[in-house]
Amino acid sequence: MILSNEILQVCQVLCVLLLAPLLQGFILKAEERVQRSRGPSIFQPYRDLWKLFHKQSVVPESASWIYFIAPILAFTAMLIVPILIPVLTDRPLPLSDMGDMLGGGMILTLGSFAIILAGLDSGNVYGGIGSSRAVMLAILAEPTLILVLVGVSLLAKAMLPFVVNHLLLESASTYWSPAHLFLIPAFLALLLVETDKLPIHSSTHLEIYMIDEARILEYSGPLYALLKWASMMKQFILYIIFCNVFLLPWGLSQLGTPFGQLGSVGALLLKFLLVALVVVVVETVQSRLRFYRYQEPLAAGFLFAVLAIVSSQLF
Amino acid sequence: MFLAHINPLQASIFSSLAIVSLLLTFVMLGSHWLRNYVYAFAAQSWLIAALSASVGYFSGYKELYAIAVLTALFRGLVLPWLLMRIVGRLNVKREIHAVLQPSSSLVIGAFAVMFAFVISNHMNGQQQSAAHVVVLALTIMLSMKFLGFLMLAVRDEAVSQILALLVLENGIFLGSQILVPGMPLLIEIVILFDLLIVVACFGMLVRFLVVHAGTTSSRELNRLVG
Amino acid sequence: MGRVLLLILFVAPLAAILLSLGFRRARVAEYATVAAGVIDLIVSVPLLLRSLSGTLIFGNDYIKLDALAAWVILCISIVYALSSIYAVGYMRLLNEEERLPLFYALFSGFAFTMLAACVMNNAGVFWIAIELTTLISTFLVGFEREAESTEAAWKYIVVVSGGISLALLGTVLFYWGSSFVLGPSYAMTWIALHASAPKVYPPLLLVSFLLVLVGYGTKAGLAPMHTWLPDAHSESPAPVSAMLSGALLNASMLGIARFLGVVSGTSITRFAHSAVVGFGIFSFVLAALFIVRQTGIKRLMAYSSVEHIGVQALGLGFGGPLGVAGALFHMLNHSLNKSLMFFGAGNAMRAYGTKEISRIRRVLKTFPVSGVLWLLGALGIAGAPPFALFLSEFTILRAGIGGRYRWVAIVFIVFLIVVFIGFLAHFRSMYFDEAPEGEVSRLSGVVWRTLPMWLAFLPLLLLGLWWPHGLWDVFAKIYSDVMGGIQ
Repeated sequence: MILSNEILQVCQVLCVLLLAPLLQGFILKAEERVQRSRGPSIFQPYRDLWKLFHKQSVVPESASWIYFIAPILAFTAMLIVPILIPVLTDRPLPLSDMGDMLGGGMILTLGSFAIILAGLDSGNVYGGIGSSRAVMLAILAEPTLILVLVGVSLLAKAMLPFVVNHLLLESASTYWSPAHLFLIPAFLALLLVETDKLPIHSSTHLEIYMIDEARILEYSGPLYALLKWASMMKQFILYIIFCNVFLLPWGLSQLGTPFGQLGSVGALLLKFLLVALVVVVVETVQSRLRFYRYQEPLAAGFLFAVLAIVSSQLF
Repeated sequence: MFLAHINPLQASIFSSLAIVSLLLTFVMLGSHWLRNYVYAFAAQSWLIAALSASVGYFSGYKELYAIAVLTALFRGLVLPWLLMRIVGRLNVKREIHAVLQPSSSLVIGAFAVMFAFVISNHMNGQQQSAAHVVVLALTIMLSMKFLGFLMLAVRDEAVSQILALLVLENGIFLGSQILVPGMPLLIEIVILFDLLIVVACFGMLVRFLVVHAGTTSSRELNRLVG
Repeated sequence: MGRVLLLILFVAPLAAILLSLGFRRARVAEYATVAAGVIDLIVSVPLLLRSLSGTLIFGNDYIKLDALAAWVILCISIVYALSSIYAVGYMRLLNEEERLPLFYALFSGFAFTMLAACVMNNAGVFWIAIELTTLISTFLVGFEREAESTEAAWKYIVVVSGGISLALLGTVLFYWGSSFVLGPSYAMTWIALHASAPKVYPPLLLVSFLLVLVGYGTKAGLAPMHTWLPDAHSESPAPVSAMLSGALLNASMLGIARFLGVVSGTSITRFAHSAVVGFGIFSFVLAALFIVRQTGIKRLMAYSSVEHIGVQALGLGFGGPLGVAGALFHMLNHSLNKSLMFFGAGNAMRAYGTKEISRIRRVLKTFPVSGVLWLLGALGIAGAPPFALFLSEFTILRAGIGGRYRWVAIVFIVFLIVVFIGFLAHFRSMYFDEAPEGEVSRLSGVVWRTLPMWLAFLPLLLLGLWWPHGLWDVFAKIYSDVMGGIQ
């Protein structure tokens, strides 16, 4: 029995929504295990979200409507992006024509932008610090992101992630071409920065290093839960893009049967396991960079993206 | 022309070796520690020796095997050893980048690669089946030149400048292996030994610098102006 | 006959090296070097005559003696001979008796590599010879183990090595370009390159030529690649400065001339000549501006070298029989004149104990005879008649003013006036200004230090009054053989 396109679309969004905390839990537990402590259970983020939804929301006096809108905006943006990218199926579903890769990138950035505004909104000192640092990182990461998308488009001669996925599945020479091999580290650098992993560990609680936590310092209760969920979904989405479009394009369901859907969910989790292990190793091995050296990993990413574009012209 | 008759497998081997050499140049450009420079240079020399051997294997120029062995030996072992000795004798372990941060150098280097690509495309007018390998070889040769000169311009330490000069020569060597594998053996061997003499001279000069001028950082070598 | 002469030419410096290193005594080294220099000078004249009757190629096509090579050999031998005579007197003043044999060995080695570079037929081996000259001369530049000399030697080797690696890239690209015509494996002789140049893809040929021009231009001291020149020429001992200025720059210009000949007759000839003219006039203007503001005597001479190399480049760039003849004649005159100037500067430095122009005063009182020679040499190097440099510069002007480079020639004239005024202003202050109280030491070895100045001055005056017809034949032959013949 082949599921209809609408159900498949809803399944994709639900998959992202429900499995994002699982990924976060797994990464946290793996980091702790690597450092030889026991770590929380992998379902802990679910419990945290549940607890937060039942808590009271304390709103600062100086908050405006942006304070309320921003978490909702971020959450919604994270719900829209899974429609555009190949999550479970490898053929484009009807609504995925809404935006190509550049559009998906824009919506992701929209969510971050909303949270940055929220950080500035209440006039809190830490909110200002967090927002300005987050914007600096965004400025450094943006050219790399654009160049990576340009590189992928030049490689596939199309701007849809589905076309890239098919191309990589079909021709091994494209998979192993230097352009593609350079894009992988470029996107990995972006992935590490956007999901707040070392060497720019931005979700720390120490004020002197805070970037992301500072922006949402004023939030509590359900709004805080929405923000945390949004950041977990962003991580999940970036992992999806990294796996399905760049690194491991296999394992997507082709026909759309329920069994195929479950299978591709399983494949997704397996792929994420591998990437998460790599990320955990990278985190554990490094230490945090000084603030003025934040541009170095991103410059390396930029370099790889440029080399990818040049190589794509040569082959 | 040898390059007119290569198949995709050979093309991809040459291309991968050449591109990873270019990447190692970027590693040299972006790192802070002097020892990392030398290691990256040694790795690059080994890769170029492998390239030499593979070109010799596929093209039938048997003398390239000898050149590959000599390259691996002299450029890959003896030169890095000499350089490590120089580094060990100095007081500095890391380079203080006064002019340009490593990340900015990486970005400028990326633009240099693009510029080199444009020039190489323009220079390659011959219609031949392996045009992309030719343009790749030219691009990497020219970009290693640009990167070498970039390192020469923004680096203060004497050892970094020596390495920059060696990168320049490495770039030419890499390009010449792919483009003109038939170049007479005599010239290639003499250029190889010439490098050895150059580094020996540099070693002596660095010793003089430390003893007489008191420093090896060219920021402080400013007695002669005008 | 030619081979025997060449053999003597090369064996003499080698013998000097062996004797210097073998005996390890300063006197032996000195006399061996002087003997080698004089022998080379004597041998180079019949070599020039021999080359006029036909080009000599042997050694498996690696060695070629044509008129251009013989001419540059003559210039180098003159400087080698004169400098070695001067070095005897000068180096004794440095109180470095134990290291003198090493100095003379390096000195002769330097001369050997320069002479070898002239006769190299293969562009790749030519590059190797030039690289060897760099390596040997670095240690000569840094011979006095002081902070400034070491710094100068370091800058010299770094800048010049970087520059000539560009020349190597250009050579490899030339080889590649011609390999489409001549096959993947061939001997890269000048004739072979010239024969295949018209069929090489023009942008590739142009890029290769420009790379070679910049590369060998760094070695020759064309601006803006000249930055090593003032340091190296001012910090080295005076005889080494004379060799660097008078001989090494000529060998590098030989490289540029040969490559210019290679691309003559192709579609990029005009652009190539314009590039050479551009570098030449830029060097000239830059050097003129720096000369006006100089404070050190030897740096002044070094910038004057940059200026004259600019003039030679202008001559080669203007092209035509007049331009080439002017440039080559300028090579000879500059070697003579610059050696004279560096000898005088060395004398003044040793006597007054300083390099600053402002502290050298009343030279005629200290050096009654050689001071006059030095002053007349200054007049000559600023381009005044009746000295030979005037004739060669005038010829180059004649070549330039008639053709496309009219405006360049006009700029040339204007800045010649600037150089004349600036250069001679320094000499006026050194000779005719009031002297503060200071110690002026009496130096020994007067004959050793003055004789080469006479030997440099007399031909300068002679050639300024009379341009021998035989030289015209040499230049015409060089023009037709090497530089393309048709413009």
